[in-house]
Amino acid sequence: MAGGEPEITMAPGAEEAGMASMIADMIKTNIKNKPERMKDFNKLRGTIWITASDAETEMTMEFTGSSLTVSKGKVGTPILAIETDATTLLELANIEIKMGMPYYFDETGRMVIKKLMSKELKIKGMFAHTVALTRMTKLLSVK
Amino acid sequence: MAQYGTDEWEAEYQAMLADRMKNPAPYIYFTPEWAALYEKTIQNDEPYKDAAKTWEGTVVLHVEKSPEWGLDIDVYVFMDLWHGECRSIRIVPNDAGEAGDFVITGSLERWEQVAKKELDSTKGMMQGKLKLKGDLPTIVRAVRASQRLTDLSADVGGFFPTELNDEQKAEFKIAMDALAKVLG
Repeated sequence: MAGGEPEITMAPGAEEAGMASMIADMIKTNIKNKPERMKDFNKLRGTIWITASDAETEMTMEFTGSSLTVSKGKVGTPILAIETDATTLLELANIEIKMGMPYYFDETGRMVIKKLMSKELKIKGMFAHTVALTRMTKLLSVK
Repeated sequence: MAQYGTDEWEAEYQAMLADRMKNPAPYIYFTPEWAALYEKTIQNDEPYKDAAKTWEGTVVLHVEKSPEWGLDIDVYVFMDLWHGECRSIRIVPNDAGEAGDFVITGSLERWEQVAKKELDSTKGMMQGKLKLKGDLPTIVRAVRASQRLTDLSADVGGFFPTELNDEQKAEFKIAMDALAKVLG
């Protein structure tokens, strides 16, 4: 069901962790600004782990198809494991969404591809879980 | 001091600034005279103008008080930024600072790390060392512009209260206490 507020729970300690709190806030605000993305929220199932290696911080998002639990650190077995630096992580959130899909043919998109090729951005599980990656990218995108 | 936001307040602020700028630079970070140099630096910076072309809104650097370094008041560096232009930077009263569109809060030590480029502001927010209040997606869209702003704060140069000797610290404390009275 599209519309409505996403159910996002912060696990103990996550509220104080900068990155976990920022990403949760961003997903919430993005859905508020673009309610059509609630469909992606409600269809995303699986655990996603993100680490900003230069900031020595990590977080886990557990999507159940109707809710999200955000934790500090690594929890469970992720279907997607994203490893990059703090700035690239925020640049990932600047990927354009066109026709409901992430767009990789502008400056930001090309930069993301370049960082993937040079391994400055590593996404484990991106080929096995393409749909989940697309949905997560849409939820994170501020565009 | 007149009420913040009025022409009278601005006139009084400028008079105070002129008086404080009689002393030569470098200045102490987050004082009105340092803010005036920061304003000029941003106004003359082409990379910032380019990165912030679509930026709309006020950004406030909130420095939490640190009595151990002679800083007995919270300092709010209020930046009025619009489409790549830096309209003004002022040290403002607390309530005006808190009302900024984006307020980035950190301890004096954290801001010192940022200014010395030992801590990237994005990284600092991810680590929870700097706290952001405001619409996060908006600031994420302007990540290059916000990084440029922090880079420029380093370029302005100056001293940190943590670098002052006891005598200078005592003078700084008197000056900041006087500033607090002026700001209201």
